[in-house]
Amino acid sequence: MTATKQAYDTLVHETGGWVASQLEACTRCGMCAEACHFYQATGNPEYAPVWKVELLRRAYEQRFTLVGGFKTMIGVEKRITDDDLKHWSELNYHACTVCNKCSMVCPMGIDLGSLLHGVRAGLAAADMVPEDLMAAVNKQVKEGSPLGMTDSVWDQRLEWVADEWEVEIPRDVKGASTMVVFSSIEVMKFPTNVAAIAKVLNAAGEKWTVSSKAREVVNFGFYEGSEEHTKLFINRVLEGARDLGVKRIVVTECGHAYDALRWHAANWIPEANDFEIIHITGVLGELVGSGRIKLKPGAFDGQGTITFHDACKIQRKGGHIQEPRDILKVLAPNSFKEMTPNREESVCCGGGGGVIAIKAADAPRYAAFQLKIDQVNSVGAKTVTMTCSNCRLQFTDGVDHFKLDWKVTGLAQMVADALVE
Amino acid sequence: MNWQATLEFARGPFFYAALLFMLFGLAYRLVTVIGLGWSKDRVPDKGSKAAGVVKTFLKALLIWPFIPWVKNTFTKNPLIYIGGGLFHLALFTTLILGAPHMLVWKSLSGLSWPTLPLPIVDWMAAVGIIAMLMLLVNRRINPVLKLISGPAEYLSWLFVFLPMVTGYMMTHHLWFQYEVLYSLHMLSVDVMMIWIPLSRISHFIFYFFARAIHGAEFGKRGVAV
Repeated sequence: MTATKQAYDTLVHETGGWVASQLEACTRCGMCAEACHFYQATGNPEYAPVWKVELLRRAYEQRFTLVGGFKTMIGVEKRITDDDLKHWSELNYHACTVCNKCSMVCPMGIDLGSLLHGVRAGLAAADMVPEDLMAAVNKQVKEGSPLGMTDSVWDQRLEWVADEWEVEIPRDVKGASTMVVFSSIEVMKFPTNVAAIAKVLNAAGEKWTVSSKAREVVNFGFYEGSEEHTKLFINRVLEGARDLGVKRIVVTECGHAYDALRWHAANWIPEANDFEIIHITGVLGELVGSGRIKLKPGAFDGQGTITFHDACKIQRKGGHIQEPRDILKVLAPNSFKEMTPNREESVCCGGGGGVIAIKAADAPRYAAFQLKIDQVNSVGAKTVTMTCSNCRLQFTDGVDHFKLDWKVTGLAQMVADALVE
Repeated sequence: MNWQATLEFARGPFFYAALLFMLFGLAYRLVTVIGLGWSKDRVPDKGSKAAGVVKTFLKALLIWPFIPWVKNTFTKNPLIYIGGGLFHLALFTTLILGAPHMLVWKSLSGLSWPTLPLPIVDWMAAVGIIAMLMLLVNRRINPVLKLISGPAEYLSWLFVFLPMVTGYMMTHHLWFQYEVLYSLHMLSVDVMMIWIPLSRISHFIFYFFARAIHGAEFGKRGVAV
């Protein structure tokens, strides 16, 4: 029962007026299910977002409302049990990317993503996080990165990237104005992205640096839902920035990390406001828009249709919706084609929220990706580009799994390839 | 049974007691929710929270209810949109623009306004009743709605359905004596008013919180609501 108590207390702690008023607004119309890619792909009614937040609702009503208390007393409403926690752990970590598409269709406008994150907080407090995800969190606590990017690995990889693509990557430069924090996904799996971003920033004459202290932007604590771990990982980034005295922190291609740093960090750690925190997509938009870098117009035309995948945390929850379009209109004015739905209404790739890190979640993850396949195929695209390495991981894995003949790439890479010196 | 006495009770003391219970109950819930505390958002905005709030209310009140098919989810579960939309339209039309209801508002508030002719209100009431039946069937068929519906959801349905159906029967003098139908209509209204603060029918209050939060969250990120 201690696990349950831990979860219950944390869930209760999560329900201030902001959460409670939204839980109270729910009419149980079930509309949110129609937005959920996991429900759409599998038809499992338990994947309905309203059902996924059930634990939070129960804790709130039992603790704070007269009716909830009465219903629990007469047995109409069940108390949360350890079995419930196990069950909801699967629903929330295996089949939810916290993409917040559900909040777009809720007739009440409930910000379901935040409530779903609250459920994760409760589950994390009760040690009910899936094994694979928890192992990655612990690895990030101990080694500084969930992908095993230790100090020396980081060092070697960056050295190699700099050599291989002949690009300068300034390190630990005191007095630089911008600190770029890469994700280990890029450093370990998509090194071309690291090279591309370095190339673009150098071409723009940006005074930038990376920090050996703040070498990992990924935040597995935020996936987990643990405030303690999330703060720990945010603090590592902020410390690096403070040491180097930079003004601006550029988050590269990790959606969850961007959400945590840009939209939550200051509420946990007020010093986060000492820095301007921005996503690389915003920087690219700025550089192209202001003419600080020049791109070859139509550089990607004539290679088949190119489409853009909106990432839930960078576009819908991050606000960098217009920049990729503006850039693609320069790079591929004739062959760039939008999927439907797109922009803030985009369908999530299915791999975010830590889902891709959990082996046991493969079935719902691949099922959800099939929605994406249909979308891409219906515009006849052969190239899919995006601004999130986590999405890109899901796409490359999906392309492999379903034997698709698409090219999966990143926007930063396209920009770097089209640079006019 | 003395229906005249029942009617006097249902539209007299019981009505006022139920009305007061509803108002105090709603106020209590409002106060407890607000009392749970609101933490300050220290995150710097990218767009405007206020603009997001205004836009989302305009969209949700003036656009989506009338052209719901612009939403992608419309095609996936049209019954909810059509049933829910027609129900609310019928509810507000009969409750505000129906002559007998306006007179109730007038007796409570002193204000009066022009009403719609009876045949129109009557048709709207019929539409509302049909919409509610549709919604009930949908709730029993749709796997998600089946899963998330407990006794409270069905009671909510029943306590809203009864005043509508007795009101309709009353207007058409169907099957029973007028006093009987009038009494049943008032009794069911009283029961519904007592049920409102105990149930999710009170979403009409918290809607304004959730919608405003939605607008603020999307607005501050500079994302269209």
